[in-house]
This record gives sequence, structure tokens and C-alpha cells, in this order.
Amino acid sequence: MQWYEILVIALAVLFVGGVIGKAIRDKMHGKSGCDCSSCCGNCSDCKKKK
Amino acid sequence: MKKFALAGNPNCGKTTLFNLLTGSTAYVGNWPGVTVDKREGTYKKGIEPVDIIDLPGIYSLSPYTPEEVISRRYILEEKPDCVINIVDATNLERNLYLTTQIMEIDVPMIVALNMMDAVEKNGDKINPKMLEEKLGVPVVAISALKGEGIKELMDRAIKTSKSPRKGRTVLQDSAIAHLIGDVAIALEAQGVEAPLFHAVKLSELDEIEVRMHPELVKMVDAFKATFSDDTFGTDFEAVVADARYQYISKNYTSALSKKERKALTKSDKADRVLTNKWAGIPIFLVILFAIFHLTFSEGFLFSDLWGLPTLEDLGLLTEEGEPIHFGVALLACIYDGAIFSPGCIINNLWNDVIVGNVFGWIRAGIELIPSDWVVAFLSDGILEALAAVLSFLPQILVLFLFFSILEDSGYMARVAFILDRIFRKFGLSGRAFMPMIMGFGCSIPAMINTRTLADEKERTATVRVIPFFSCGAKLPILTAIAGGTLAFFGVGGVDLITYLMYIGGIATAILAVIVMRGTTMKGDVPPFIMELPAYHAPRFSSLMIHLWDKTKHFVKKAFTIILASTVVIWFLSSFGWQFWNGMVEDMDASILASIGKALQWLFTPLGFGAQLNSFGWVFAVAVITGLIAKENVICTFASLASAVVVSGAVAPDILAELEAIAEGSEAAWTMIAATGVTVPALIAFILFNMTTIPCFAACATAKAELPKGKFWKTLVFWVATSYATGIVFYLGGLLAQAIWGVSTVAIVMGVVFAILMGAILTAGVMGIARLTDKKKAVA
Repeated sequence: MQWYEILVIALAVLFVGGVIGKAIRDKMHGKSGCDCSSCCGNCSDCKKKK
Repeated sequence: MKKFALAGNPNCGKTTLFNLLTGSTAYVGNWPGVTVDKREGTYKKGIEPVDIIDLPGIYSLSPYTPEEVISRRYILEEKPDCVINIVDATNLERNLYLTTQIMEIDVPMIVALNMMDAVEKNGDKINPKMLEEKLGVPVVAISALKGEGIKELMDRAIKTSKSPRKGRTVLQDSAIAHLIGDVAIALEAQGVEAPLFHAVKLSELDEIEVRMHPELVKMVDAFKATFSDDTFGTDFEAVVADARYQYISKNYTSALSKKERKALTKSDKADRVLTNKWAGIPIFLVILFAIFHLTFSEGFLFSDLWGLPTLEDLGLLTEEGEPIHFGVALLACIYDGAIFSPGCIINNLWNDVIVGNVFGWIRAGIELIPSDWVVAFLSDGILEALAAVLSFLPQILVLFLFFSILEDSGYMARVAFILDRIFRKFGLSGRAFMPMIMGFGCSIPAMINTRTLADEKERTATVRVIPFFSCGAKLPILTAIAGGTLAFFGVGGVDLITYLMYIGGIATAILAVIVMRGTTMKGDVPPFIMELPAYHAPRFSSLMIHLWDKTKHFVKKAFTIILASTVVIWFLSSFGWQFWNGMVEDMDASILASIGKALQWLFTPLGFGAQLNSFGWVFAVAVITGLIAKENVICTFASLASAVVVSGAVAPDILAELEAIAEGSEAAWTMIAATGVTVPALIAFILFNMTTIPCFAACATAKAELPKGKFWKTLVFWVATSYATGIVFYLGGLLAQAIWGVSTVAIVMGVVFAILMGAILTAGVMGIARLTDKKKAVA
């Protein structure tokens, strides 16, 4: 396997993992902490605050 | 940092002012009730930075609606340094009703007389100084729309916030003034803040105050026993409301001098036609069709039926079918045997000039990589999928531009009014239609907007049907499949099919509401009083904010969730369960294929299941990936299209036509050619995706907004409805096809027949429900 093939695989894994991780983080804590001011995704922070 | 709250009646311009002060791009809609929760921003242009809180629109501080509770609680509990009370100057008397209530709270306040430009345009005059003297609080004339008077407002608000203000009431001469005074003294003795406001509310026997101060209710009851008003009896709430209006009319309206005008304004005249009992709905349907025709039609003004020559007939194409020069290439974006609609022209320019070239260059770069699988992954997997989704962006924006124009002009509020007549008969008020209209943009804010519905059952029913109002993410499915159908079978039309599917979605929502409110969710329909905003020309900045939000959201989604999904789809379609053995040569042996085949039979009754040829499982997989984000349905097609072509599933003579297919519809065309799916099945596929479980994000919102225990039932409801809708439309389509053959008429008649069948089924369910009720009553 060539170095660029390994790079493509690593980037793809990192990207998919990052998107899923960010989605979980957003769900847990809101976009940047609690963001009840706009379209709230009903994160845990918002629920506590409410 | 100081905190200023913006409070006022619905649709008086609070959010417009909020955006102006904070530089935000919060959603502004020309109908009452767009803001359902408070939102915050910072004003940085003054002497000092100030936190601005945009409260939802309210008519009073009585706790009748969630918005009133939110606003009242904020002003009383969070104690802002100043309340900026925005008053719609074109409707002074009614707006001052709220002002007189805020005045009773011990909080600095300033009145912003908004829409002064409209007052002047009407030929009326308001004297802000006179009003200021009478109210006893600062009054500043502004126009949030034009940004006039904003600096003066904020400077005076900052100054006002520096000195405390004691509440005062306009009820000092009313019949229950003594009671209010006595209760206020008692509350003050208890150390209650803003005693005057609480005293007035307690005198009205406001439910929150009764709960908070039960010991003082006796005082009110004792007074009640000795009191009787000629008109309102002992209804103190009515007595107070009447006293407020009398005071406003006597004292404040002298600041307003109205020009004598004819009985009917232009808005009134327009409303006589647009909201007419009989003509209102047909006009709405015609406007909706005109929008779809302007956005999607490849035969603008039905020019495809005029018999115009094609570019080939005119000798403007080479033997390979390419334009002979750049000018012809541009012409091909506008005309080819028919004049394209404005939406189509923009889309063609975007795809041919931008997406085609840019993605072509990227593809050429990728092909330099000396690894077949890397090239296949980046080029056929990711790039094709992204190109397919992005190719629809201009048409989505054009469609939303038209929707924004309808909304900003005030017409959408009329649509809610028109549809209230239908929905009311079946158990939903027109108020519930507001979130449904928002559902055309995105289900998430629409579901959040249902918080304004006080009745839990009505709210649950509304949340459930919101996904049936096709959102922007579903448009690529509609346009790609409709485009593929037109290109492969030569029937239908992107505008016609998209329009029919929107109507189909609305019809499904109405039928579902009838069944829900007639069976498991019975309840009274709450009264719906809606103030119709005056018609006005849409503002360019507001339209651009809507479009910018849409673009930002779409592009962000394309390069995050959709891109990540594409990577996973490509992996699953390229490897078998023993993935350590390397890539599979035949996609039919991949993990994705085995998942698709396992689920395929589920869709056989809908026409896109086991009856399809090879690769028919792609439809089943697309349904599943669409649960992550609806755009994924077309991404899945685009990601797998190359592998389908390589496998030889499309006959070479048919494959030659692929070159001529518009970008975006290519993938759908390939799947149609490879799987042998029929037109009725394609329509059923679109409808199934439109009415089934929405994307994960919308599901999370529904779970949060629905009462406990209702979410799982809602998931079952979505699956059952989409399945039933898909089957009904498939059967309707088959019947129509048997009569009219594969034709546009058959598509239209299939949809009409299916809606009728749905209505008959609904009537059947309702009949059974009534019979059961009667039996229960007899027992």
C-alpha cells in the first residue's frame, strides 16, 4: 500500500469520526454551550436550563 | 453588561429591530408568532455594549399562551435594565394595551413607535412628544425596516435604564381601583417586587397570581361579593380590559390624527379576492403551480408544445452533440427546442459553467493518482455524490426565493387564514398551519414553532404531519427522480411532478389530521384569531437573509453529514463482509448489497422492491441512508451509479443517451435504466420518502417537542403513513397506467385517484370511529 493510499484512508476515517463526534458533542452540549437563543437542538445544557 | 428586552405585539417588527441592533440574521416572517422563544444578541454601536433579548410577540401579560408566559416571566424574573416596548404605530390603540400592562411593572421602559414610515404613507400623523407626556415614559419614533431612529432609541434607552422606575397604572379611575390599591399594599408589605402589576393580575384572578398568593384571593372574593358591573358582572378580567381600552381611547389616541380614507384599503381589496371563500384555495393552487413552473419547467409557458426547433435542428451542434462555440453553449442553458424557466436557466448555468467545469478539473487532478481504488473512491464515490447534491442548489434557492416573497409580502398569512376553514372542520386551528408552512423550509424550526399551540393533542398532531410538508432537503429527491422520469420515459415534467408531490404531501397531512383528531386525539379546536398583516413589497435584505441562511445550511450539510455518509456508503458498497480480503469486484457482493437485498422485499408492495432487476436493492438502501439526511437518497444513487454502469446493467444502446441527461438527474436515470422500475413505482418512491421518518435531526427535535411516550408512536405513525401512501399511489398509478398508458395524463390521474382513494379510506376510518363512539355511548 502506498503512502497516499494510507493518507486517504486516514483522512476518511478522521473525517467520518469527526462528523459523528461533533454531532454527539452538539447534542450533548449545544453548538457552543447552551444556544437556546436560536434554533435549539434540545441539548442537555438547554434541558437543564429549562 | 446591561440587558434590554424587546417586547411587543406579534408581527410589530421586534425581530427586524433585533437583527438591526445585533447584526443577527434571525428568522423574520411577515406573520404573527414567528418567534416562539426568547433570543439574545449584543448591541455594540452605542456608548456601551448592551445585551438585547428578543421576546416572543404577545398581546397581553396574561398567561394564556406559552409566549405570554415566557415574556412575562422574563420581564418579572430576569429584571432587564430596560424594556423596549415596540409599538406598531399603524395599530396604536391595540398595541398600547400591552404598553399599559408593562407600565405597571417596576422596570425602566421606553416605547419605540415602529412603522412610522407606514403611518406617514397612509397620510396619518402621530405626535410622539404628546404621547410621551401622556404615557409618562420616553417615546421614540422609528422605522426598523428602514433603520430610522434606531440610534436615538438606543441612546435614550441607555439613559432611561440608569434611573429606576416605579410602576403606574391607568386603572386608577376604574371600578376596581380600590381593590387593586388594597392588594398592592398587602403585596408590598410581603416584600413582593412589582406589587402594582401583581395586584392588578391578582384582581383579575390570573391563574399564576392565584397560585402564588392564595392568601390574598379571599380579599378579591370579598370585594367581588359586593361588586357588580352592568356589562361585565363580576368578570374582573373583562372589567380591567375594558377600563384599559377606555383609558387608551380617551387619553392616548389624541396623539394620533387619522386621514379620512375610503372604506377599503388596497390590502382589503386584495383580500376580497385572495381570501375569498370559493376562490381562495384555487388561487393558492395556481400560485403554487406558477412557482413550480417558474422554477423547474424545461418548457416555460409551455413552449415545449409550440413545436420550436432544437439546437440540433438549427445546426448549432457538432456531430458529437457538443455546441459549436461558447455562445451556443450559453444559449443551450436558455433554449433547446423550448424556452427554459428562469429556475432552469440558473440551474443550467450553474451546472454547465460552474459545477461541470470545477468538478471536471478536480476529477482530472484525481485521475493523476496512480491507484485505481483511490480514483474510484474520490471521483466516482465522493465527487459524483457531491456534484449530484450541489447541482440542485440554484433551483432550491429559486424556489425558496418565491416562498420568501410570498411570506414577506403577507400572502402566506392569508394562506393560513384560508386553510383554517378546512383544518378547523377536521380539528386543527389555522394557528397550527403556521408551523406547517415553516415545514416547507425545514421541519426542525417548524416543530419548535408548535410550542405556540396550547392544546397538547393539537400540538402532537401538528408535529406528526409537519414532515409531510416537503422540506428543502427532499427537493433533490423530487427533482432528480422527476428529471430522470422525464428523460427516460419522456413523460411528466419536473415542475408538474414536483407540484403534484407537494399537493400530495398537503393532502396526506390533511387526511392524517382528520384520522388523528377523529380517533385517538379528539379535542376541541381552540379559537384562532389572527391579525392579517398589510401587504407590502418584500424587502430585498430580508429575502437575501433567507437565501443566505438556506445556502449556508445546505453547503454545510453537503460537506459534513452528506460527505461523511458518502464515505461510508462507498466503503460498504466496495467491500464484502470479509473486508480484510480487499475490495469486491462485483458490487452485488458488497455489504451494502446484502443489507439492501435483506430489506428489498419490504418495498415490493410499493413497486420498488423485489420485482426490480439487478441493483433494485439500491432503492431500499437509499430509503435507509435518507434517514440520516434526505439528500442522501440522491447521493446514494450518484455514489453507486458508476459501479452500476461498469457492471453492464444498463444496455449499451440506452447508455448512449446518458450523455444528454442533465446533471443531477443522471444518477436517477441510471438507476431507472438498470432496475427497470416503473413510473408509478417512482412516484411511490418519492412519496414514501416524503412522508416517512424524517432525518435524524428532525427526529431528535420531534422527540424533544412531543409529550412523553408519544415519540415512539409517532415513529410508527410515520412508517405506517408512508407505507400506506406509497401503496395507494402505486396502485393508483398502475390503474391509471393501465387506462392511459405511460403518459403524463396517467401520472396526473394516478395522483388524483390516489388522493381520492386516501379520502375514501379516511372516511371509512372516521365512520368506524363514529360507530364505535355511538356504541360506547349506548353502553
